[in-house]
Amino acid sequence: MTEPVRVEVENVSLAFGATQVLRGIDVAIAPGEFFALLGPSGCGKSTLLRLIAGFNHAQSGHVRIGGDDVTRVPPWERNVGMVFQSYALWPHMTVAGNVAFGLEERGRPREEIRRRVADALALVGLQDLADRRPGQLSGGQQQRVALARTVAIEPRVLLLDEPLSNLDAKLRVHMRRELVQLQRKLGITTIFVTHDQEEAMTTCDRIAVMSEGRIVQTGTPVELYDAPASRFVAEFVGSINLLDGNLQTGAGEGATFVSPQVGPVPLPPSESLPGSGDVTLAFRPHGVSVSAARADPARIWLAGAVAEREFLGEFVRYRVRVGGADILVDAPHLTGAPWFDPGAGVEVGIDPREIRVLRP
Amino acid sequence: MNLHALRRFAAALAAAGAALAAPIASGQQVTVITSFPKELTDAYRKAFEAKNPGTKVEILNKNTVAGVAYVRELAPGSRPDVFWASAPDAFEVLANDKLLEKFDPGVAGIPAKIGNYPVNDPEGFYRGQALAGYGIMWNTRYLKANKLPEPREWADLAKPVYFGHVATSSPSRSGTTHLTVETVLQGEGWDKGWSQLLQIGGNAAAITERSFAVPDGVSNGQYGIGLVIDFFGLAAKANGFPVEFVYPSVTAIVPANIALVAGAKNPDLGKRFIAFTLSEEGQLVLLDPKVMRLPVLPKTYEKAPKGFPNPYAGTIKPKVNFDANLSEERYYLVSSLFDQTITFRHKELVAATKAINEAAAKLAAKPNPQGEKLLAEARAIAYTSVVDEPKSRDKGFLAAFRATKKDAETTKRVTALEEHWSTEAKKNYARAIALANQAAATVK
Amino acid sequence: MTARPTLAQAAIAGAIALFLAAFLVVPVLAVVWIAFADGAGGVTLSHFGAFFGVSLLRESFWNSLYVAAASVLVASVIALPIAYFTSRFRLRGALAVQTLGVLPLVMPPFVGAVAMQLIFGRNGSVNLLLGDWLGVNVPFMEGLNGVIFVEALHYFPFILLNLSVALANIDPAMEESAQNLGAHGFRLFRRVVFPLAMPGYVAGASLVFVKVFDDLGTPLVLNVTNMLAPQAYLRITSMGIEDPLGYVISVIMIAFSILAMWLSARALRGRDYATVQRGGAAAPRRRLSRGQAVLAYGWIALVLLLVLSPHLGILLLSFSKVWSFSVVPEAFTLENYRTVFADSSGMIVNTLVYAGLAAFVDIVIGTTIAYLVLRTPLPGRQFLDLGAAAALAIPGVVLGIGYLRLFRGVEIPWLGGALTASWIILPIAYSVRRLPYAVRSCTAALQQLHASLEEAAENLGASRRRTIQRIVVPLMAGGILAGFVTSFITAAVELSATLLLASSESMAPMSYGIYLYMQSIAGRGPGAALGVVAVVIVAVGTYASNRFMAGRSAQQETKP
Repeated sequence: MTEPVRVEVENVSLAFGATQVLRGIDVAIAPGEFFALLGPSGCGKSTLLRLIAGFNHAQSGHVRIGGDDVTRVPPWERNVGMVFQSYALWPHMTVAGNVAFGLEERGRPREEIRRRVADALALVGLQDLADRRPGQLSGGQQQRVALARTVAIEPRVLLLDEPLSNLDAKLRVHMRRELVQLQRKLGITTIFVTHDQEEAMTTCDRIAVMSEGRIVQTGTPVELYDAPASRFVAEFVGSINLLDGNLQTGAGEGATFVSPQVGPVPLPPSESLPGSGDVTLAFRPHGVSVSAARADPARIWLAGAVAEREFLGEFVRYRVRVGGADILVDAPHLTGAPWFDPGAGVEVGIDPREIRVLRP
Repeated sequence: MNLHALRRFAAALAAAGAALAAPIASGQQVTVITSFPKELTDAYRKAFEAKNPGTKVEILNKNTVAGVAYVRELAPGSRPDVFWASAPDAFEVLANDKLLEKFDPGVAGIPAKIGNYPVNDPEGFYRGQALAGYGIMWNTRYLKANKLPEPREWADLAKPVYFGHVATSSPSRSGTTHLTVETVLQGEGWDKGWSQLLQIGGNAAAITERSFAVPDGVSNGQYGIGLVIDFFGLAAKANGFPVEFVYPSVTAIVPANIALVAGAKNPDLGKRFIAFTLSEEGQLVLLDPKVMRLPVLPKTYEKAPKGFPNPYAGTIKPKVNFDANLSEERYYLVSSLFDQTITFRHKELVAATKAINEAAAKLAAKPNPQGEKLLAEARAIAYTSVVDEPKSRDKGFLAAFRATKKDAETTKRVTALEEHWSTEAKKNYARAIALANQAAATVK
Repeated sequence: MTARPTLAQAAIAGAIALFLAAFLVVPVLAVVWIAFADGAGGVTLSHFGAFFGVSLLRESFWNSLYVAAASVLVASVIALPIAYFTSRFRLRGALAVQTLGVLPLVMPPFVGAVAMQLIFGRNGSVNLLLGDWLGVNVPFMEGLNGVIFVEALHYFPFILLNLSVALANIDPAMEESAQNLGAHGFRLFRRVVFPLAMPGYVAGASLVFVKVFDDLGTPLVLNVTNMLAPQAYLRITSMGIEDPLGYVISVIMIAFSILAMWLSARALRGRDYATVQRGGAAAPRRRLSRGQAVLAYGWIALVLLLVLSPHLGILLLSFSKVWSFSVVPEAFTLENYRTVFADSSGMIVNTLVYAGLAAFVDIVIGTTIAYLVLRTPLPGRQFLDLGAAAALAIPGVVLGIGYLRLFRGVEIPWLGGALTASWIILPIAYSVRRLPYAVRSCTAALQQLHASLEEAAENLGASRRRTIQRIVVPLMAGGILAGFVTSFITAAVELSATLLLASSESMAPMSYGIYLYMQSIAGRGPGAALGVVAVVIVAVGTYASNRFMAGRSAQQETKP
């Protein structure tokens, strides 16, 4: 196996006709890193991946793989392996034929091809299906063939374009574990495109969240979850409560957040508090508790009424009407724990440590 | 499209269908089966319908052989009324099968003979309606562009200068070509005739599959010179095509015929139609620029355009007294021999002719006796028929070809013979090429 | 859907079965029987022995195979680059290319053949120019070459259209993954693109093979008779209806048509890649390099020129007085059109009536078969479908021979003669020959119609008959019309069966008239004029149906 390489994208912009798809993308992926491009559809993540593979051409900027500028190199000379969303297995070739293709194109000796095809298929556990046609395989098996076909050429970089989206939910979870194991085994720099934040967070070392052609935040899954840099990231990664309002910081002591919907909310002193101005308070539903009376004084309490209740197994999700806003509360569910019925008056307690203050 | 529209449409179709069927149901219709082109039949149809209001002329256009087959297969009473075609043999066949009815249209002024050839069937089954001669047609622009002299005689077409410029059909594919070939054979004699035919074949750019392809190709300039029946040349010229036509001295004048079919649907109208075609009025139709055939009624020529040939006045002097019996006797032999040695071996024959011409050109520049001897030998081998004159007259030999109902044994014999000719011809042409090349090599 | 077939359904199915039996199955079986009959009630192969004993027929056999195969090859060479370029690269002039796909089909090949002779013949326009400029003469039109050239130019759209659809249906990721793994250029095409488009290609190519193998008009007009279809025609018309070799030729032609279709079906088994696309966008078109662009545009321009040449030629010829040994005709006239409308307007009317009748019969039977197959439980209903489709494998010449053989003694009282001598035989032959297309388009139309639409009507109290009348037929109208137009325009230019079955001029349609005119020197102009009329009729039909279909689909999109 070759040494893992670094992938750098520098100030890349791309437009299809009048539509600007990528706007000044800068990202560096470390050697051997499992890196995700995460974002809603249309954010440009697949375009960026295809650009790295050589199928799209930037109007400006550079792509470097292992330090080599490959911006003008055609796809077939880049030696980056890509697994397509549809797998793109050629139905007129057998499984072995598919896997051998890239090696044949490289003019490898017959014996070497045979051996490496066998290795690649063994790697994904499909050695017995070498003579089948892709049409005779299940979705998960096809996915593995696509992987084997790509890793057989020992690419410098592995690109995965929504590889799990065509699988059913259970298989998806299983396959993403396999994917992680495979990536660890090969140690190959891997870029993974997905719109599923759970998928990205469970598999990847680092994630770049994209929106409207830009990378809005890059970080480890925990960083993104705990410290979203923007309202967009906060909303995209997990469920969250957002309150818009005005922050008035007093000197040395706490601050007061005034929301037109819920009225004034006192905030305890904290280093992370910015200066006065318009802000958004963000806090996750599991950082909020609900009870009949105000209990823990360390929390910020607001009075409201239960508007809706959903039972989700591990927890009960309440939508509580507080003033003019709705606040989501995830209350852990234990056997026999009492529930609040819709309409019941409740107190909502927010853990101030869980609050992030976002500048608009 | 909704159902109402469909219904209306169906009603309209049914009405149209009924309208179409109507004339067929009425009795006033004469049905003519003919191999003649549409201009000729259209001209006669219009003329006859104008003269006999209320009658219809229905034309069944089939080539001669197909026409005979068609009449044969119909039951008496449902047959067409008139059979109208060139080849006398077809009428002989029909008469033998009792498919023709004797009938005298009672028109005066048509001579009994043209040359030595009877205009009408001596037995009275069919009558000459027009005369046809065979000759050479050429495209004047083609000749000018290729700087070729105008040909006059069949023998001219054998000259090296015409190599690749001639077109002819095969007697097995067309009755008129058969008559042309037979005219050459009867006019020049079997051996000399075949020698000429082989040389012409060697000069031919194409042996076309159908006789019409020759005049068609010449008139549109695809070929320079063609062996054709006269009216093709005359009509093309009359229609403004840059073509000329001559009768070589070795030519024959043979009537094209018309006859009343026995067991016809409407014999009375058929008789009227035949009488019309032979009348002065009917004969004049032949002079239409699109038709341009030689009338059988001598008086008609008075109204002919200037320069129109008149066989009765000696503008064509046919040297050949066409012997229809001889022609019929060896019909299959001639056709088959032509195909096996010329049509199917055309590539080899052309190659031999090319080699001979090249050697001849070299020798002409620097003559030497040895080379000339070799060349003469090459010519003799290439241009001699694989069947000689005495054999062609052997009754037993001919009988095999003429057997109408071929049993397996005869078929086998004939097939074997044909294969033999074919391989002989191939061998001869190869040998001629070798000899011609040797002859050329003698020129240092 | 009711579980048991009704009596009415059975009766209608029976009527259609009877029609198919009388005008397709029995005539063809009669032909096959005679080819094997020894005359004494037994079966023999001796006629086949005799066939292969005659060198002309042996030659014809090989020539037909050669011409059909070579036409497929030439048509592929024309169509493949165009299909590939237009589907995978950014090219201007998509309209020109679309036109390319339809233009040749609106002109019957035998009409084009005459014009091609004048343009590409030994001393046609092109060779005269080539001779002037380069001193060379290219034998485009000599013998079999001419047939191949004309057929390939006429039929390449079948390959182009099928291949274009197939290429458009390939998931672009299929090609990108190959590029990603190192393939590009011609290797990419050979190893991935072409194999994936193979089903479309094979479908088109087998259609071309069968069509060329069956074609009678083109070889006859080009004076080539040493092929099977002309030989069958000539033998039956000149040796007579009893000549067994004509039947042997027919059987061989049927066998090869079926063989070609079987081979293509076999080649396609398990290879239906058409639906592999999954939510992806259409293939991104690649940019052509300057050199490639020159090649691509050059090729398209050349083919467009070639495709236009017969149209141009026939138009010129129809207005020309004399065209001989010159690049273009020197004198122009309207006389040819006058002649045609004066002498042959009956043929134009005949064509409209026959083709209209045939198309009408086709859509009635087509709709009925589609309905019976898709919406009723009638046992054996697939055989109707199969029977109609079988007509595809029957060459026009063979059907004509079968009719002549079977119906020559059949008297129809109100026609006053044998069925074979009556005009009615022509629309019958046309309708049988075109039935497969009509059935296909009607079936497709009905398949898209969800059964719940009919169930809703029945639920609201409409009887089965009223449901068909008020729901099924109106909603199928588009497909029915497409079937009608296809049947109409192809029947309007059908020559193979016509030549055998048209016995008199008054019953003859235009295709026969064109052929007849083309048999004499003075008739070439009028023949061309009649050809132009035929092309106009076909073009108007095609255009009208396209307009109608376009309007309809727009309407259905706005009101889903």
